[in-house]
Amino acid sequence: MAAIMNGVLEKSLLENIKKSKLLMVGAGGIGCELLKNLVLTGFTDIELIDLDTIDVSNLNRQFLFRKEHVGKSKAEVAKESALKFNPEAKITAHHDSIFSPEFGLDFFKGFEIVLNALDNRAARNHVNRMCLAADIPLVESGTAGYLGQVTVIKKGSTECYECRPQAPQKTFPGCTIRNTPSEPIHCVVWAKHLFNQLFGENDPDQDVSPDTEDPELTADAGQAALATEAKKDAVGGIERKSTRAWAMDIGYDAQKIFNKLFRDDIKYLLSMETLWKKRRPPQPLDFDCLPGKGEIMNTSAMRDQRVWSVQECADAFTQCLSALKNDLNSRGENGMLVWDKDDHHAMDFVTCVSNIRAHVFGIPLRSKFDIKSMAGNIIPAIATTNAIIAGLIVMESLKILAGNVSKCRQIFLNRVPNDRKRLLVPCVISKPNPKCYVCSEKPECNVILNTTKITIRILQDKILKSHLNMIAPDVEIDDGKGTIIISSEEGETEENNDKLLSDFAISNGTRLKCDDFLQNYSLNINIVHVDKLDKEKEFEVVGDMSQFQPKEDENGKPEGESQTNGNVPSTTKAKPDDDEDDLVLLEDDAEEEISKSPGNLSRKRPAEPSEDESLIKKKKHDVAAGDGEEVIEIS
Amino acid sequence: MATLQNKGAGIDKNNKYDRQLRLWGDHGQSSLETARVCLINATATGTEILKNLVLPGVGSFTIVDGQKVQGEDVGNNFFLTVDSIGKSRAQVATELLSELNEDVSGDFLEENVDDLLQKNPAFLSSFTTVIATQLSEKTLLNLGKVLWERNIPLVVCRCYGFIGYLRLVLKEHTIIESHPDNTHEDLRLDRPFNGLKEFCDKLNLDTMNKKDHSHTPWLVLLYKYLQIWEQKHGGKLPSTYKEKTAFKELIKEGLRKNDEGVPDDEENFDEAIKSVNSSLHATSIPSEIQDLFNDPACLELHPESKNFWVMMRALKEFTRNEGLGFLPVRGTIPDMTSDSERYIQLQTVYRDQAEIDALAVAGHVHSLLHTIGRDEPLKPDRTKKPGTITDSEIKTFCRNAAFLNVVRCRSLQQEYDHDIIYLEELSRHLIDEESPDEGDDTVLYVLLRAADKFFAEFNHFPGYFDNTVDADVPKLKACLNKLILDWGLSSTIKDDYIQEICRYGASELHSVSAFMGGVTAQEVIKVITGQFVPINNTFIYNAQRQTSTTITL
Repeated sequence: MAAIMNGVLEKSLLENIKKSKLLMVGAGGIGCELLKNLVLTGFTDIELIDLDTIDVSNLNRQFLFRKEHVGKSKAEVAKESALKFNPEAKITAHHDSIFSPEFGLDFFKGFEIVLNALDNRAARNHVNRMCLAADIPLVESGTAGYLGQVTVIKKGSTECYECRPQAPQKTFPGCTIRNTPSEPIHCVVWAKHLFNQLFGENDPDQDVSPDTEDPELTADAGQAALATEAKKDAVGGIERKSTRAWAMDIGYDAQKIFNKLFRDDIKYLLSMETLWKKRRPPQPLDFDCLPGKGEIMNTSAMRDQRVWSVQECADAFTQCLSALKNDLNSRGENGMLVWDKDDHHAMDFVTCVSNIRAHVFGIPLRSKFDIKSMAGNIIPAIATTNAIIAGLIVMESLKILAGNVSKCRQIFLNRVPNDRKRLLVPCVISKPNPKCYVCSEKPECNVILNTTKITIRILQDKILKSHLNMIAPDVEIDDGKGTIIISSEEGETEENNDKLLSDFAISNGTRLKCDDFLQNYSLNINIVHVDKLDKEKEFEVVGDMSQFQPKEDENGKPEGESQTNGNVPSTTKAKPDDDEDDLVLLEDDAEEEISKSPGNLSRKRPAEPSEDESLIKKKKHDVAAGDGEEVIEIS
Repeated sequence: MATLQNKGAGIDKNNKYDRQLRLWGDHGQSSLETARVCLINATATGTEILKNLVLPGVGSFTIVDGQKVQGEDVGNNFFLTVDSIGKSRAQVATELLSELNEDVSGDFLEENVDDLLQKNPAFLSSFTTVIATQLSEKTLLNLGKVLWERNIPLVVCRCYGFIGYLRLVLKEHTIIESHPDNTHEDLRLDRPFNGLKEFCDKLNLDTMNKKDHSHTPWLVLLYKYLQIWEQKHGGKLPSTYKEKTAFKELIKEGLRKNDEGVPDDEENFDEAIKSVNSSLHATSIPSEIQDLFNDPACLELHPESKNFWVMMRALKEFTRNEGLGFLPVRGTIPDMTSDSERYIQLQTVYRDQAEIDALAVAGHVHSLLHTIGRDEPLKPDRTKKPGTITDSEIKTFCRNAAFLNVVRCRSLQQEYDHDIIYLEELSRHLIDEESPDEGDDTVLYVLLRAADKFFAEFNHFPGYFDNTVDADVPKLKACLNKLILDWGLSSTIKDDYIQEICRYGASELHSVSAFMGGVTAQEVIKVITGQFVPINNTFIYNAQRQTSTTITL
């Protein structure tokens, strides 16, 4: 094995390759290529973790998988396929989540190098912390369409994955989704919420009914109260039981559901007159009288590429409702469906529902193909880019094994050679950010919020777990008494969940000591109390308080923009007119291996190793054109 | 010649190829699915390239390779297994690559390419593209000549230690969909066409209600305020920074005011002001397109002219006649704040004009085809015969009229001919060697050429045998100096490089092959789909420094 490399690689390096144990996290697009490269470079001891199973849409690039493997574990199948080619290699596959406690500090310490081939930010953050804690070098990578990048993270010598503020996951204000959508994406989000309300897990944050607490209404307190009264009559008390229970009672009757959602609820929305003073009011629809009725459509070709008429949407609605109902029923008493962009009926459901809603609100309709991009956060992915990136990963790993971490580079792959004729742009990796709230000596950050509105539950779930990516935090107040407000032990602090921070005398300047045993990570949080934050934000996390400026202009600059990093040698050509508004981050349920922003963020933060899969161009219908619009250029 | 086919009950191709359809569309995919590629030599690099073409669904591939699988192949080639040692390399690789995608058919020919070129060069005529890996200079030049004469694209790829080399040999490659970055919209605000005028003139900003006012598309606002501007400025558009600023002020004045005289927030006005800089550029024919109009292939049409050139000529005729000096209207508008009724109407206005223009171009296409004796079939129901041009082709052409592109590479013959070698280009890239950090990887190209010279003389690559590495260093240096002298270059190349090359011993490192397999397959896909602009003509990868460069040789 690998005899051919004698002479080309130093002897000591060859020996290191042979005896080194590697951990690969992810067996998707990059992962398949990487596993092959590692085996053929002579690595013989590899552990592989991936929670995912194989989908049809993986087969255009994840070459270790075949049609007959669809539905099976990626890690297991990748291992089997690779072993066929080198039976001598020792590959251990874990069909498991990297967050699982089984993969703790001791596990990570057993490897020479950890190689990420991941598709989401949460997992990247977690592996970053584990590698910092275990002091194991990490090779981080990602691709999006024709773009890709690779970088190396080594505790103390390079910046870590979280050294730069990450782009906030953009969410839409609830009232925009529920009351006043103005763009197709708002309707798509609503349609996905509706799917979950009808068939999936009930999440109170995903309510689809008109929102009577819209801040625009509270300008007139009387009216809000009135609206609450009206609600009970207008929708016949439906609100009191769950949408799902109601839908089940009426047997998922398409006409009844349609008329409630698109006629009655819309009429009710119209009654909130304040909302429509400056907006085009929505127009209620009746199931029996829809535009496009009786028209004969060319239904033969390109069903996915063509925009359906409203009547077609309603027909599709009827069909997939009944199919989804059957699917749900087949899952027994407490069964539920999980929305999946690759499920035919689930995707049809979101397509027709979002288009009907778009019609109601006078928003342009979209094809299923386009809606799939938006709803599934789809990033184009091809074999070639993954092959290129996986090749680069191995080259960087060899430098690490040769003891040359200082020679490692952060490498960007452009879509086409830049003005200096470079397809690859290697950059010196930045030094650690001394104020990083993850990798600095004493990690610390500021959380800006209203202590009289935030509950312990929100602190735990939204701030610590979701935003700061902790897995099982313990939190005590640094008040000399060490009051414990959150414990990772089950059953110890649950009774605190619904209490407010202020109930524990947490106020401006209070310090919280947070500890995540699993990640071996401690963080001090300084609470900054404000009465009101921007645009419905519940809280804001800021590493360095000098970055926090109360926003003045509506356009709003993204977090982190003020932090220009002087030692990053890259700039990007940028269209001045085309600013951050074009980028939308949807929730993180997404797809493929990504890490580089296909768009504008990269020019602000060229070394950001991962703008997630969830990055899409809002204003482009054409994802192909939206991809990689701005290529990083080093001048 | 053997054929391996395993067309099975297919899975939904739209699902399987979903992630790539979003890059090159259905028509790009169908070009890929009808393409026939030939790979010469199933080396690690060769099979990596093919893997990246088989996965996205290339129509068919054929491997030409006369060698048997050896131990060292198995060490670096994923598509050759230990139990296949001694078997035909072409056959084993074809079998394993075919497993990757049941929609792709794989063939092989167990024959040395030198023999094939001598006995049956016509064999190569049937391919869409030929990919060659790890060829000697002599064979490469022979192959290059045969394919150049037959006008078949050749893609050469080579991995040599830590060096990757890629060369595209495209006699003439025409691109309709070049997918440019950051393009201007084609809105014609400076010279509105009739449909746009009619639509905008019907709308009256002063009399419409508040809601309509704040939902009037910004395109219409710009049109309206340009009219006011032109009246005040003798029909001239705002062009300087100062004028544009004044124009923005003019738009701002149009905001509705509330009872206290404070201007309302109107998003469409904000968008209009933001769009002033990008949307008021003068409509014109790009100079690249002007050049193509004057290309001999466009001027002198003949019965065998490519559809591209017939359409190019028709486009030229259009600009001289119906187009009044301009290209056809592209027919798309960006998203903007608007009620959907008027947005859709406005979309239709642009789309209709694009249709009218495309129809006019089609008229020219048909009369040109008639002139060169390639008439359309008389009845529409007859199947399309080769040589005719469909309306949808013409529409795509018109939509991309501003971005059409032609790539003409130099032949290998030209590159290797001492008299017409691009010395200037070469030395410009080599000079940078003085400051190593600014360095350019072109030096690696020169070293590869020297290694080839070495091979021609000694019949093995420098450092190929472990025990001759040191002895080969001075010999390689002599080859290099001779080469540089022959070219008349003044550059010097450091001895470190020579040592390094000898150390490589022409070995293929798998990860370098994997990298080059990705880069090369991507270029092949560009060539096959006719979308995106391929590299012209050489790409060099330095795997030690992780740098790359492209150069025209």
